Amino acid sequence: MTRLVLDELLDPSEVRVVVDRAADGSVARARLALSDLPRVEPVLLGRPVARIPALVERLCGLCPAAHHLAGVRALEALGGAAPLPAQATAVRRLLHHASAVQAHAARAATLGRDPADVAALARFAADALAAAGMPSHFPATAVPGGVRVTVPAPVREALLAAVPDAVAAARRIALGALADAPDPAAAPLAFTGADVALVDADGRPDLLGTHLRAVAADGTVLHHAQPAARLTAVLAEQHPGAAAPRPYLRMLGPDAGRYRVGPVAQLGVGPLRTPQAADLQDSWARGPRAAAPARAIMAVAAVEAVAEVLSDGAVCAPPEPVAVTLTGLPAGASGVGWVDGPRGLLVHRYVTGDDDVLHAATILTPTAQNEPWLADLLHAAAQGDGTQGDGTKDSTQDGTVGPLERAVREADPCLPCTAAPLGAMRLTLTGAPDTPEGR
Amino acid sequence: MCVAIPARITQITPGELPMALVDVAGRCEPCCLAYHRDAVVGDYVLVQNGFAVSLLDPQAAAESLAAFAELGLVGP
Repeated sequence: MTRLVLDELLDPSEVRVVVDRAADGSVARARLALSDLPRVEPVLLGRPVARIPALVERLCGLCPAAHHLAGVRALEALGGAAPLPAQATAVRRLLHHASAVQAHAARAATLGRDPADVAALARFAADALAAAGMPSHFPATAVPGGVRVTVPAPVREALLAAVPDAVAAARRIALGALADAPDPAAAPLAFTGADVALVDADGRPDLLGTHLRAVAADGTVLHHAQPAARLTAVLAEQHPGAAAPRPYLRMLGPDAGRYRVGPVAQLGVGPLRTPQAADLQDSWARGPRAAAPARAIMAVAAVEAVAEVLSDGAVCAPPEPVAVTLTGLPAGASGVGWVDGPRGLLVHRYVTGDDDVLHAATILTPTAQNEPWLADLLHAAAQGDGTQGDGTKDSTQDGTVGPLERAVREADPCLPCTAAPLGAMRLTLTGAPDTPEGR
Repeated sequence: MCVAIPARITQITPGELPMALVDVAGRCEPCCLAYHRDAVVGDYVLVQNGFAVSLLDPQAAAESLAAFAELGLVGP
């Protein structure tokens, strides 16, 4: 495990698309090679459960705030935390929504949006993250039962003063993304699986929601609002522990129960609560429901959520964590923590063994959950790409954005290549022996 | 998971696609600086799949490396 992880981290592999062909040369199946995204659960086992969030968030290169909050929530579920103080809830919401703004601003930059708008959003996000206890790449914000930090009143006032410009910049980016969305007739392959996202008590999308909602492609509500404690009754992995575990909704089974997460799903499960984002969501829903404008609209929603948090003043109160007991836990106890990050649902599930150590864990990432969706997109793209035989093809050779690159950008897996400017994503097509990761 | 490991830049080769040599827990490895062209020798970066995906301050890098060591993913 040690060598495997390090060597993959250090291998500049960009992104590999594996295309399996039938005897006549037609595309039988296409998928993303996920071996570059190893499962980390095995190295966590046997360690003090209270340490797990601090370790996992240090491993993640892209969404440390999401892992930080999901992990602490899992500990709180294990330790039986009472409802959080309002101050803790507010600071966590500030951290989480600011991290979403930061991530979506970076994506807007790769699409060539107005640099001034992108910079304004990124600056707003950085200031909000610093105020919430994340001055650099890693957060030091939450502890089980509360938070470590408070937001000084002058910092809150400065952030509130910056909100109008940030909302305006986010809105311009979203309108541009909506205008650039493909014609419905040329839209990416419609996904036949469900959309899954976190919601608030009213069933509306909430990146730090307490319940999970699943809506089928035809609009049927499959799960109205499931609490985290019901996770294993709602979701299962077809290939537990694999890099591509193929999670599914239990009620529909492995094939029919495929689902996706992320901004498209977040907009698909219900109406947004904040006004400007809700208006944009209406426009998005009438179009091809593409991912780029969905990300931009969720950035607007996140800026509005930051503004709400700052407006109520609780962020400025002194931290007063409630007690959470993480010693003397019964063996076999489990705790689930989840958040809806920039790329979608992130789940931490810890199971204790004797002496408060980790006996089992599931770290379910958005990329792993979106792998079936991406495989569908890649399959359709490979069929129309004109790629022949087992040769490799760099989609950037002619400087254009090919269908495979569009497919990868749509699902936005957590690989460095997704930060490349349009047309600059290096893709390598390979044929490969059948492996469990793509099944 | 999107695992990324902290490393210190020891050498930079400028160009359209700038490359660096980085010290990863004592190993010298190549790393692409396409996403952080302003990085300089001595900076700490997070490396994922051969790309520097984020800049780090030295304290954050040290704390992160300590976590990798605690998990047995790098040597002492």
